[in-house]
Parts: sequence; structure tokens; C-alpha cells
Amino acid sequence: MDYGLKYLGAGIAVLGGIGSGIGEGRICAHAIDGMARNPEASSSIRSTMILGCALDETTGVYALIIAILCLFI
Amino acid sequence: MSTLALDTSNILELDFSGEMIMSLITMLVICILSIIIFFVFRKKDPTKPDHGFAMIVETSVEKVQNLVVETMGRKYEGFSGYILALSLYIFICFFLGITGLPNALTSLEVPLSIGLLTFIMIHAAAVRKNKWRYYKRYTSPLAVFLPINLLSMWAPLLSITLRLFGNALSGYVIMSMLYYYLELLSSVIFGSFMFEGLSSIWLAPFITPWFHLYFDLFAGAIQTLVFVMLTMIWVSQEDPDESIEEGIALK
Repeated sequence: MDYGLKYLGAGIAVLGGIGSGIGEGRICAHAIDGMARNPEASSSIRSTMILGCALDETTGVYALIIAILCLFI
Repeated sequence: MSTLALDTSNILELDFSGEMIMSLITMLVICILSIIIFFVFRKKDPTKPDHGFAMIVETSVEKVQNLVVETMGRKYEGFSGYILALSLYIFICFFLGITGLPNALTSLEVPLSIGLLTFIMIHAAAVRKNKWRYYKRYTSPLAVFLPINLLSMWAPLLSITLRLFGNALSGYVIMSMLYYYLELLSSVIFGSFMFEGLSSIWLAPFITPWFHLYFDLFAGAIQTLVFVMLTMIWVSQEDPDESIEEGIALK
């Protein structure tokens, strides 16, 4: 019983990745918008976009940490 | 999966788990690299143009200096040595993950101590700027907010530590799962016409390098950049360099 609930909890915890995914999609969409409007700035937009994606990924990684802690501890 | 144990009960005893040994190996690699750079640059003639190894080193040092000056302003030019050392350590930690051994950052103590360095540096910059008025921030806007401010003080430390730790750990867990299942799949496919022990090694060498490329090199470079950028932004916003707004610091 406990064993199954552990896996269920890990699965629910990793749902936090939904928000991170939506956020990354929005970051990419707006970066492409900016690049299409102003192609000269595309290199700086790209580096800022990657930085923003990495920052945004953090919430997903928190969810993953909690899921891993649920599974292995 | 014994390396995943986050056991803090024996935190005061000497711990020589795999991650600690990998941290020592990382430091050894950085030491050897530094000694090589020292001897290369002692022999070099400064009037001649660089090529090969010396050029790579000079370009990367220059890039880091430019990044620091652009982000923090002229006042912080001396900060680039710390930033270079920090980024070298984090990136080589991730880079040594391509050997398949656990990356040193997968043990919570290593990212926590790097995060503590940043945390102490932020507050040191704030104290240096504001002197005794530094303590006023904990009772702003009202004295009632003191407990909330005392709690939110720890947020940068938590976020910067868990970001590094989570990225390293998730990459390592996914890679070890991949190795385990590829071994299983290989022994199912090749098990019928090979003897035990030889049949399980045929798939991993062709599939895992691409995942190592992503989880160790790409993610490592991005996380290094993020960590370094956050450190620079947080430190410089406590004690800003006024010239950066006027565009003097920017080339």
C-alpha cells in the first residue's frame, strides 16, 4: 500500500512541470516575435532567451527533486 | 542508487562517498590545468600573436572580463577572477560527468557551499554599501514584517542551491536510468547468441553519448552561465556602479 502511494505522490509532484512547460513556450514565442520584428538583435535575444529558459526550468526541476525524493527516500 | 542517499545524520563524520572523490578529482583537474597555463604563459613571447592553447585561454579570460564589466560596471573589474574560478569549477564538475561517474554537484553539500559563497557576498556588499542602515531592511515597511523578512532573506540561497543541485541530480538520475535500461534491452536482444556478461554492453556506447552531450555539456554550460549571471546581478544590485547607467562602462 505504502509502496504504491509513493509512486502516486511522485507522479503528482512532477505535475509541477506543466507550469514550467507553459512558461518556456511563452518565452520562445515572444523571443521569436522579437527576432522577427528586429532581426539585427537576434543574437542578443537568443542568449537572453536561453538564460530565461534556464531560469524558468527551475520550477520544473524543483518538482523533479520532490518526485525523486518521494521515490528514493 | 546508493549515491542518491541524502543522509545528513553523519554530517560531522568524514564522508568519502563517490561525489566527494569526484570533487577532489575536479580540483585536481583544475590544478593541473592552471599549472599548464602557468608554464605555457611563462615561456610565451608577449610580442608575438597567440595561437592554439594560449589563444583559447586569453579569449576566455577576456570574455569573462567583458561580461563582468558589462553586467556589473567598471567598479567590479576585479570581481572577474572570482567569477572565472567559479565558472571553471562548476563547468568542470558538469564536464567530468561525461565519464559516467557521479558529478560532484549531485551531493547537496557542494552546491550548498557554492551557494553560501554567493549569499555571503550579497550581504557583504549590502553591509559595505549601507553600513548600519543595512539592518533597516528587515523592519521595512513596518516592524511587524520582521519574521517575513527574516524568512525571505534565505530565498536566494535556496533557489541558487536547488537550481544547481536539481539540474545535476536530474541529469545523473536520467543517465543512470538510461544505462540500466539499455543494458537490459541489450541483453534481451543479444542474449540468445552470446554468453552472459558480453551481451549487455552493445547498445549503451551508441546511444548514451548524445544524452551526455545534452545533460553534461549543454546543461552544464547553461547552468554555469545562469549561476554566474545571478551572482553578478545580485551582488551588483546591492551596491550598484552608477557609471553603468550612463553607458560609460559599456564599450
